[in-house]
Amino acid sequence: MDKKELLGLYQKMLYLRLFDDMCRNLKMQDIVWSGYHPSTGQEAVAAGVISQLRKEDCLLGNHRSHGHAVAKGSSSRAILTEMMGRQTGVSGGLGGAMQFIHAENNVFCGSIVGSGIPIAAGMGLALKQKGTDHVAMSIFGDGACNTGAFHEGLNLAAIWKLPVVYILENNQFAEAMPVGEFVACSPLSKRARAYDLEEITVDGNDVEAVHEAARKAIEKARSGGGPSLIEAYTYRTRGHYVGDPENTYRTKEEVKEWKKKCPILQCKNKLLELGAAEDELEDIKKDIKTGLKEDQEWALEQPFATFEQATDHVWIPLQ
Amino acid sequence: MQNITYGEALGQAYREEMLRDENVYLVGEDVGRWGSLYRASRGLLEEFGPDRVKDAPLSEAAIAGCAVGSAAMGMRPIAEIMYIDFISIAMDQIVNHAAKWHQLSNGKVKMPIVFRTQGGGGRRNSSQHSQSLENWFVNIPGLIVVMPSSPYDIKGLLKSSVRNDNPVVFIEHKSLYFAKEDVPTEEYLIPLGKAHVKREGEDVSIIATSWMVGFALEAAKQLSNEGVSCEVIDPRTIWPLDKETIVNSVNKTKRCIVVTEAPAEGGWSGEVASVVSEQCFDMLEKPVKRNTGLRTGIPYGPVLELQVIPSVEKIVKDVREIIS
Repeated sequence: MDKKELLGLYQKMLYLRLFDDMCRNLKMQDIVWSGYHPSTGQEAVAAGVISQLRKEDCLLGNHRSHGHAVAKGSSSRAILTEMMGRQTGVSGGLGGAMQFIHAENNVFCGSIVGSGIPIAAGMGLALKQKGTDHVAMSIFGDGACNTGAFHEGLNLAAIWKLPVVYILENNQFAEAMPVGEFVACSPLSKRARAYDLEEITVDGNDVEAVHEAARKAIEKARSGGGPSLIEAYTYRTRGHYVGDPENTYRTKEEVKEWKKKCPILQCKNKLLELGAAEDELEDIKKDIKTGLKEDQEWALEQPFATFEQATDHVWIPLQ
Repeated sequence: MQNITYGEALGQAYREEMLRDENVYLVGEDVGRWGSLYRASRGLLEEFGPDRVKDAPLSEAAIAGCAVGSAAMGMRPIAEIMYIDFISIAMDQIVNHAAKWHQLSNGKVKMPIVFRTQGGGGRRNSSQHSQSLENWFVNIPGLIVVMPSSPYDIKGLLKSSVRNDNPVVFIEHKSLYFAKEDVPTEEYLIPLGKAHVKREGEDVSIIATSWMVGFALEAAKQLSNEGVSCEVIDPRTIWPLDKETIVNSVNKTKRCIVVTEAPAEGGWSGEVASVVSEQCFDMLEKPVKRNTGLRTGIPYGPVLELQVIPSVEKIVKDVREIIS
């Protein structure tokens, strides 16, 4: 990947990291209300994979998808204010951090682990049936691999050769349970074989590797080649949610080791090797921070969702 | 007019809607080769091809998820869950997604899905193939729940359900597929949310659903020989409930019996009883009665299963009590 392209991905990852930092900070002030699931350390997956999608492609997110949505092109303001329960949020402030829908950008996130997997198949079916070359992507964690929806959904996409890309963002923990305790096989991508799909595991902290694997899978889906499952092996360097008792499931030393493999740090080193200047990278950071600061100030001024909204659109009344 | 079965009427509704709108498609277990368990979609695979009539694996979560995803992208799926007992596997998709996405998208995403299934007893299938689970769905904001009781109704209601932009749980009855009735040959629709007064009467209002409508009508016929005049109402759409028709009827007859195959506890029959108590209290001569399935698993075989659900005799007995 050339310097310019890599710089683009670096900018995206850094944006997601700083956006996540800002949201987490707001969570700690109880301005973001619900359970908040930080994405620190997993930015290469969102930036490397999702930023390749078109607006018309569908993204099925999960409970940790604020970064995924932004990577798909939803504005940080619309996602941030959603998490703050404001009317300007993508779901009008009724969904919060864990379940929101940005219909105009085809982003559908939900907090039931694994549910997006069969839904993506249904979207892929419709996109195929309508003769488009758009694709559906479902992004989920290692925990989702043990749901019935995972097996049912992957099987359906495989037998019907649907244009779907499944991204298994293996951050190594389902809440507090280490992946090795709840899945017998390793790597998790071995399960792809059961659906006659290629077994693909990439270093989820190497944004170039993730980008390349996703590029191939998206291209395959667009050209009628059917679904793919990509396991991006990464690490969640913060808790499952803000304030979870991390000491019950891992050591500080382990986290420290993984922080050394930070995808943003790795990308930065590569850019410096390619001739990027420290100042240039520092300017990118400053610009992002300035923009996010403005976003936060703007967001705090936005009106809260109302009682009328809370009872509206429950259904479409009969004529 | 044509004299056709409940299953045939359903098949006609399918076909008419599939011809009318190319976004309508069927997905479910054995909807294609078999034409579904009770043959309602027989011939449609040959006529419309495998893109419109999709035989699905035994994966109810995937069938329902496929419906949710494709509906969000502009299709109008009719997703068949072969027995309502199997819908437990699909509940997440129906409850957490189909019923929620319209609101979570600020009204922008529509979920025009018909979750077609069949429930109830009468075919000797025991407890995992005979349940009446409609109460679950009445409890979920965002869902419409339909229970057709006749060939005429199933055709008109299915067509309206397909054209509706809300998720509809369409619960047929396995003991009704071979019931026959005269049905118009020309196209017609039956509006959702409207009850049907099946028989007018003066002494008691019997509110019955699905298979129980026929039981109530038979009871009314027998009681008319004793000079008792029963009004029988089939809500057809159990949610939203046509409260007006029920309340008007009870205000006239001053007595009400609710008959469902589902158990009473925590259920829709209690909802109807509450509506009647709230809105007709001053007019009621007697407390509302409920004649429902017992709180038990449906037992095996032709004898016991009929003993745990309402019967014509039990309805007759209830009417005699309430008018005394």
